[in-house]
Amino acid sequence: MNLDDALKTFINESRELLEQMEEALLGIEQQPDDAELINGIFRAAHTIKGSAGLFGLEQIVAFTHVAESVLDRVRDSLLVIDAELVAILLASRDHIGSLIDHLAQGETPDAATHRQGSELTERLHRYLNQTPAAARAAMPVEHAQIPERETGRVADTDNWHISLRFGREVLRNGMDPLAFLRYLGTLGRIVRIVTLTDDIPALSELDAEGCWLGFEIVFSSEADKATIESAFDFVREDSHIRILPPRSRIAEYLRLIDALPNEDMRLGEILVRCGTLTPAELDSMLEMQRQGDATEHAPIGEVLVEQKVVQEPVVEAALVRQKQIKENRNAQNASIRVDSARLDQLINLVGELIIVGSSANLIARQIAHPALLEVTYNMTRMVEEVRDSAMSLRMVQIGATFSRFQRVVHDVAQELGKDIRLEISGGETELDKTVVEKITDPLTHLVRNAMDHGIESRAQRAANGKPEQGVLRLNAWHESGSIVIEVADDGGGLNTEKIRAKAIERGLIAADAGLSEHDIHQLIFAAGFSTADAVSNLSGRGVGMDVVRSNIESLRGSVELLSQAGAGTAVRIHLPLTLAIIDGFLVGVGRERYVIPLETVEECIQFSVTELNLASGEAGYMDLRGEVLPCVRLRDVFDVRHSSATRESIVVVRHGARRVGLVVNALYGELQAVIKPLGRLFEAAQGVGGFTILGDGEVTPVIDVARLIELSAGPLHSRAGGLPAAA
Amino acid sequence: MAKTIMIVDDSATLRQVVSIALKGAGYDVLEASDGKDALARLTGQKVHLVISDVNMPNMDGLTFVTEMKKLPAYKFTPVIMLTTEAGADKKAQGQAAGAKAWVVKPFQPAQMLAAVSKLVLP
Amino acid sequence: MGALVKMDNAATEVRTRQEPEQYLTFLLGGEMFAIGILVIKEIIEFGQVTEVPRMPGCVRGVINLRGAVVPVIDLSVRFGRPVTEPGRRTCIVIVETGEGEARQVIGVMVDAVSEVLEIPQADIEPAPGFGTRIRADFIAGMGKVRGRFVMILNVEQVFLIDEMAGLDTAETQVAH
Repeated sequence: MNLDDALKTFINESRELLEQMEEALLGIEQQPDDAELINGIFRAAHTIKGSAGLFGLEQIVAFTHVAESVLDRVRDSLLVIDAELVAILLASRDHIGSLIDHLAQGETPDAATHRQGSELTERLHRYLNQTPAAARAAMPVEHAQIPERETGRVADTDNWHISLRFGREVLRNGMDPLAFLRYLGTLGRIVRIVTLTDDIPALSELDAEGCWLGFEIVFSSEADKATIESAFDFVREDSHIRILPPRSRIAEYLRLIDALPNEDMRLGEILVRCGTLTPAELDSMLEMQRQGDATEHAPIGEVLVEQKVVQEPVVEAALVRQKQIKENRNAQNASIRVDSARLDQLINLVGELIIVGSSANLIARQIAHPALLEVTYNMTRMVEEVRDSAMSLRMVQIGATFSRFQRVVHDVAQELGKDIRLEISGGETELDKTVVEKITDPLTHLVRNAMDHGIESRAQRAANGKPEQGVLRLNAWHESGSIVIEVADDGGGLNTEKIRAKAIERGLIAADAGLSEHDIHQLIFAAGFSTADAVSNLSGRGVGMDVVRSNIESLRGSVELLSQAGAGTAVRIHLPLTLAIIDGFLVGVGRERYVIPLETVEECIQFSVTELNLASGEAGYMDLRGEVLPCVRLRDVFDVRHSSATRESIVVVRHGARRVGLVVNALYGELQAVIKPLGRLFEAAQGVGGFTILGDGEVTPVIDVARLIELSAGPLHSRAGGLPAAA
Repeated sequence: MAKTIMIVDDSATLRQVVSIALKGAGYDVLEASDGKDALARLTGQKVHLVISDVNMPNMDGLTFVTEMKKLPAYKFTPVIMLTTEAGADKKAQGQAAGAKAWVVKPFQPAQMLAAVSKLVLP
Repeated sequence: MGALVKMDNAATEVRTRQEPEQYLTFLLGGEMFAIGILVIKEIIEFGQVTEVPRMPGCVRGVINLRGAVVPVIDLSVRFGRPVTEPGRRTCIVIVETGEGEARQVIGVMVDAVSEVLEIPQADIEPAPGFGTRIRADFIAGMGKVRGRFVMILNVEQVFLIDEMAGLDTAETQVAH
């Protein structure tokens, strides 16, 4: 083989690569993150090393290898490239250049070049966490020779025995079993070969691209075991390969048989047929098996190591890998990913089930058959459980959402030049995933708003005798069937007078409107209201508190603001736990029926005309155990015709801090209601949050208690953005 | 008829040396300088074996092998990947792509010949 | 030509887009109307309608259509006429309007459905600008059937969601 021409190519190519390397190294300081530049430098070193190896140029290979290793660490971001490293790499490049020059001149490198080389090698090694000795130790270990072992009956053969079971993927990977056998033929003489076709399935089940073949081979060779093994290097990972040296102990053949998947008896016969074992030897082996040789049940890994078919470290690595796979599998079993559309479908079906179930219930009650009542009672209970488990599938903790604000708070605080700490509590509180997704935007706005407008500047805080570091709190908890999320700050609180002035200026309230401080604070949720004097970079970019409010209301939630001058502001978001199914309380007004979400119902009171001072068409009050309870006739709010006032009851509902008594004609009791969305036509409906279908098939409105309370409290709180000027 | 082997490497030296060695052993040789070049040269003729470097400009070796295996004519073509000792993770990726045979760089021509002859005899 | 198209903009658009040959005719307040059958899903008997509080008068309520909640429109009220009193022949025609996100299934309350007719394009005349006692933009054209005129409704205009929901004051504007 004449490589002279190739050597010239090598010298030219290396010089070119070294030039590119120099250029890249000079550019890298300006662009230390340019991955392609770093990769280019690495590739140049890598190519020179690889090519030099072809010619057995050990000196170039050894030196370039160290440089390449350093570059590999840079490439993997384990090392940061700095001016010093660039200098060393440039010197290394020059050194490779001089080695190439010597090669081109046909000289061996002089002593000075050697010195330079070892000095640079040492400096480069400082960038590797390995000493040169350790690096060498990490190189592949030599194959150990098969040790002579304890005595035992030895098979009387001078031939190797090779068992091959090719992996199913071998053909697909482009490997030809025949090619391996041919190669084996170059290492010695195949004395006898038995082809095993037992694994081939019936034609109808045959994967024609799969490899189903196995071979038992008697092989005569002077080569050592490592050489024979290496014939199968490329298929070893996918295939079962056992190699027994000449004159192995019978016990080892037994282990070989145990280790192979085929039936023992058949294998024994094959070994005899191959001539590896004599029939007598096979008998003796079977005898050993009958005696229950302890190794029979030894794990395959141990057997293989004992036989030195596989090196011990290899087995260990494989065992570790196996364990990892097992652990991964366990983790996968612990949770599975499900398309949320499929969950939604399940919940819809559960909804239908509830409707059908309540029909059955209704009929059972009408028929009043005791056994049927018993069955429907049990069914209702089961359906409730199914509902709860189905709903819980969609429940997620809010903690993950809260945690995302760490970064927001950090970034915004820096932007504002404020020192703000985020405190999170109640992260384990669960709510519907669809609600979580929709709450992120309003929350972000509230957080930014609190940081921007709520928490004062450091100087101002210091002047007010507060710690310079402001605190923003995110908290969540469950309260009467809904979830409350609170964004609170320890800032200056709202300036009530400023809000009032602004509201008057904007025509939101009349100048002489008599509003409580709390009511005035809620005005910041009105459309287009902003208290910031200067429109800062953060808030006031079009998304106002009114958008926050309407976002939350679209989730059947509500928002409330609590503020104390000098001490801080808290915004509380009340949200339903889920959007799909609720426990409801069915009431009647005239011929109409309505569902009130049970979570809002505090109590029901028998009505006595004398207790209630309530003329038709107006709101009134009643004395509820010493407290004033505002009351309203649902008939009036909803303008129900055909209403007879023969019997009336009061349902006390609560939302947030406000309670109202709803006067109705009939109380029908509790039920489960599958919420059907309002649809576009009813989006602006007032006091109705959705529909549900009762057991008798009739559609019934579900009351939106928050809005109803606003409606009944009079014009002040009538519509979002409305807050009419006429007070 | 001689078996055809394609060698894909960005180093002209390596291609030349391997080519000399393979031709000397009785194989026909095709050369390509990177994955893109190699794909362009695979135009349906029988190739019995592909030897490919991993780290190459334009298209790296793993992408090349993945793309090549998509071509029906080369679905079962065996591949020898050239790698460095440091490339354990690359090796895993390559195996997933269908490259089961690996030869560690730097190698001597005789080592490459031995590896090739395990898969394809001339 | 330009002026004519402009004046009759909505009607022309609907006609060229759908070009329905077949129409369902129905009676409302003694007058004959027609709707292209392509938008009609089914016709059901008038039954239990649940009132929805605080909605404009043309929204009669909602019904349960095999598990779906479907709003019912009192077409008479929508046309600025008196509330429909349910009778023996009162029906709800289920129509589907809009596409994609805007798709909406609506029940339309009518006094009685008559028949499905073929009205050739040649027998349809543009809506007169006045004289029909209902809003001109509600009418896609006047079909001539057996010597009588039938008002073919412009479904997209008649069932404009925002108007019916009372977000628009158009309904009250007609009253003049």
